[in-house]
Amino acid sequence: MIKRTRLTLVVLAAVAAVVASAAVAASTASTPGVTAKLITIGGTFPLTGPAQLYSVIPKAEAAYFAYTNAHGGVNKRQINFKYYDDGYNPAMTVPLTHKLVEQDHVFAVYGSLGTAPTLATRDYLNKASVPQVLVATGDSYWGAQYKKYPWTIGFQPDYPGESRIYGQFIASKVPQAKIGVLMQDDAYGENYYNGLVQGLGAAKDKIVDVEKYDATQTDVSSQVVKLKASGANVFALFALPTQTITALVVATKVGWHPTTFINNVSASPLFMGLAQQSGANVQGDISATYVYDVWNNPNTATSKLYKSIIAKYDAGANPLDANVLYGVASAWTMVQALKNAGSPPTRKGLMTALTNMNQVNPFLFTGVKMKTTPTERFPIDQQSLEQYKGTGWQPFGRLFSKAR
Amino acid sequence: MPASLRQWIVPALLAAFVVFLLVGSFQSALFAQQTVSGLANGGIYASLGVALVLIYRATQVINFAQGAIATFTTYVAWQIMQWGLGYWGAFVLTLCIAFVGGIAIELIAVRPVERRGNVLTVVIASIGVLIAVEGAVGWIWGPEIRFMPSAFPVRTYHVGSVAFSLQDLGTIGVSIASVIVLWALFQFTKLGLAMRAAAFRPDAARLVGVRVSWMLSLGWGLAAVLGAVAGMMAAASPSVLLQPNMMDGVLIYAFAAAVLGGLESPAGAVIGGLAIGAMLNLLSSYVSWVTPQLLLPAAFVVMLVVLLVKPSGLFGRSRVRRV
Amino acid sequence: MKQHGLKQHWFEGVVIAIAAVVIAVMPFLLSNYNRSQGATVAVYVIAILGLNVVTGYTGQISIGHGAFMAIGGYTTAILTHDHGWSDIATLPVALVIGFGAGVVVGLPALRFHGAYLALLTFALALAVPQLAKNYSHFTGGTEGLALPTHTGWWLYGVGWSCAAVIYVLTWFLLRGRTGRAFRAVRDSEIAAASSGIGLALHKTLAFGVSAAFAAVAGSIYVLINNFVNPDVFGLTLSLYILIGAVVGGLGSLWGVVIGAAFIQLLPIGLTSSSAVSSEAVPVVFGAIVIVVMALLPQGSAVIVGGLAGLPNRIRRRHSQYPPPRTEAR
Repeated sequence: MIKRTRLTLVVLAAVAAVVASAAVAASTASTPGVTAKLITIGGTFPLTGPAQLYSVIPKAEAAYFAYTNAHGGVNKRQINFKYYDDGYNPAMTVPLTHKLVEQDHVFAVYGSLGTAPTLATRDYLNKASVPQVLVATGDSYWGAQYKKYPWTIGFQPDYPGESRIYGQFIASKVPQAKIGVLMQDDAYGENYYNGLVQGLGAAKDKIVDVEKYDATQTDVSSQVVKLKASGANVFALFALPTQTITALVVATKVGWHPTTFINNVSASPLFMGLAQQSGANVQGDISATYVYDVWNNPNTATSKLYKSIIAKYDAGANPLDANVLYGVASAWTMVQALKNAGSPPTRKGLMTALTNMNQVNPFLFTGVKMKTTPTERFPIDQQSLEQYKGTGWQPFGRLFSKAR
Repeated sequence: MPASLRQWIVPALLAAFVVFLLVGSFQSALFAQQTVSGLANGGIYASLGVALVLIYRATQVINFAQGAIATFTTYVAWQIMQWGLGYWGAFVLTLCIAFVGGIAIELIAVRPVERRGNVLTVVIASIGVLIAVEGAVGWIWGPEIRFMPSAFPVRTYHVGSVAFSLQDLGTIGVSIASVIVLWALFQFTKLGLAMRAAAFRPDAARLVGVRVSWMLSLGWGLAAVLGAVAGMMAAASPSVLLQPNMMDGVLIYAFAAAVLGGLESPAGAVIGGLAIGAMLNLLSSYVSWVTPQLLLPAAFVVMLVVLLVKPSGLFGRSRVRRV
Repeated sequence: MKQHGLKQHWFEGVVIAIAAVVIAVMPFLLSNYNRSQGATVAVYVIAILGLNVVTGYTGQISIGHGAFMAIGGYTTAILTHDHGWSDIATLPVALVIGFGAGVVVGLPALRFHGAYLALLTFALALAVPQLAKNYSHFTGGTEGLALPTHTGWWLYGVGWSCAAVIYVLTWFLLRGRTGRAFRAVRDSEIAAASSGIGLALHKTLAFGVSAAFAAVAGSIYVLINNFVNPDVFGLTLSLYILIGAVVGGLGSLWGVVIGAAFIQLLPIGLTSSSAVSSEAVPVVFGAIVIVVMALLPQGSAVIVGGLAGLPNRIRRRHSQYPPPRTEAR
């Protein structure tokens, strides 16, 4: 009996503690996440696990927000950016997004990374009318399905749009092309592949071989060997960074020297440098870019500002990592949108700001304009081709925009 | 089936597989190229597989942390090179660090658990080590992919139209060499004898003055050394690259290699590893219904079939189970 | 169990009653978010009960129970998403399909013991998500299937009702004839066989029951996340269930809830706490697992059992799992 009484007491004490804390937590702000001094936003990112390569993005974003805060914040409010590690597993993304919305009372979910994690939380956030903005994934869904999901919007150019440019370029500039494609065997790869086919138009029968790999598979040597054997002289490489580096090295190793097109996600100068160090010949490879060219313009005001922000607020990050620059460019967009979302900002105001953009983002490629309307929801629509020469990318030609 | 016939099954199967690879390679350059690059991957699976076998023999524990420890030590090697030491200096220093580290893990994480627990608790502890060590790599060195130089020249040679690099041959060679070194250690040295005794007859070993617990620590130390070698080979290979999760994929096939070889046979792990490497490449390039996603399940089915025919693996001694 | 007499049953009853009251009162005190966290704990309770049946009570180590969860999860997702079933109605289907899958795996598993079985089930845990990825026209592939959302109340209610039912089922199964046969098989196959217990029957049955429970757990897991793709059922899930089962205590039902709470609340608590930097979370979690194994190698069942005044019984049970190793270090 004594034991039972003690246990009951413990249970009652626990109950009391929980009730008390719940009462404290309940606050009655008109717009969640907005106080007179603070705007709280949050996101989920793979900080650990197989996709942790992208963990530099939220840190760079946090750095830009810290810089913004140090310079007066957004309409005198400071930005509080909370981000959690979902390990790229939707089963973590979902509860952590619920936590952001229900416990942390964020104003908006910002920048969350990955197609599947975004798909997993899209229904919930739209039903709850919580903005899910500038998601870090290039699927075309975010811009295309706005009628059903008005609270969701992406940031970067969509994957099919990018590879359409490669297709158009090959169709017009490489008449004798025999194209071999290496793609990830999922929606990511298919997005790129479909864009390529559209861009090629009538020239689509120039594709002589398509090899696929699974995302869990890092070794793509067998696929590259087959592509070489197919006689292809153009190599369209739609892969993740690791597999891209492997494919470039193996191609050189087995004596295959095609004209190579590398998707933007995997074309960071860091990866190219690594491929070169590992023995790949990457001279003349072609990719597309939409971020500011800090590599060739190290001394412009933008480059200096960017590097000083990273040095001060994200020490340890490599400013020449394209993902770091991506984070700053995305955070800049968010800050502008918050500024235009009203004071105090409202969720509706944020969506209105993001769907009526017409401005130049200094951290994007010179000449690229961020432009959206309520029915045209791809914030970045212009890209430049670039070619690898020596130890870096050299942009060339005109700006391409999606020919819709 | 008569026992005299049964003992020839495995050699016959292996011989048939080798003949198949050779004939195919003479028939088609593509086949030969796929075989060569598959075998190179197999060398990596084999090296890690041998380390798994070593720990299994010593403690009857499947060490899930083997890959993570290998990754950690490879990063240590990379770090030492960043500090300015040459490749071989860093290599040797890393092996020493791996040896001490392996013993430390045994002392800190395994022994306290083993003393009061059982095999399964030790397996869980090894999963704990896996989570912690893999996390530590990402924490200390960050998520970036790094460049790991190769121990062997990366220059490519061509035989006919088939390209191979010394690096590929070197990786295979290292896995075979590590088996020979292990075999010599166990066969010809007092220490090796003591280790074998400690693993198989601990009580008897103790009676003749072998310090059994020390021998088990030594086993972990040696396995960590083998893992470090495997890690350095893998990180220099273009199909793995030095990154925090680099051994995840390798570990899976290293397990398969060890199981195919019979879990207790280092030579079996090497043959198993090479066979899996070649088989995966050939399956994905010639068998059209084996899509990239089905490669791993296909490897699983092959492993299952082999084990159903020979439950103790290709080279395991079929023991009468004492229950 | 008769020799323990009335007194011990009385204590058992009290512990279970208190647990039941706490679980029933909890959702009234929790936020919506924490209610769905609580529901996830229930999922792990069910999965760990399943794993306990096959590993704790019949001694067949499985590292692949995430595979069975995937089977249940996809059953629910496909039936609701493509065929308009109501979610609750899919649970019995998942149970049956899970049982079938368990038997299919259990049959070849008869040939394997110890490490071989462990590694084959490990391979299974890796292979099943790959299959889900491959047949993407059924499963949605990596982009997955999105399902309707539910409130925390609904999830908590469904999760813990199922957990309670399965807990009671397991308890009845294990205390009766079948349970005695399972334990006999675990402790000595030869002795069990010579006393007339069907080895193949009981080992396969254990696998089937175990997988059926895991499949139900997978179904509810999918309902909680209202999303399914192959990454949801990755290797981590299988490893975590195993950790949870051992932390809870194999061969005993007392610690199951603690094991489940350990694997759900600790990682997500660490991830979202500001005290630990996110990169350090795996290091801390891994270290905690090691320390727990060193301090409580028999699992937390020892503590809960102790609270219930059953230390002797627990110890005796545990001394049998697994058979003591010959070497005494």
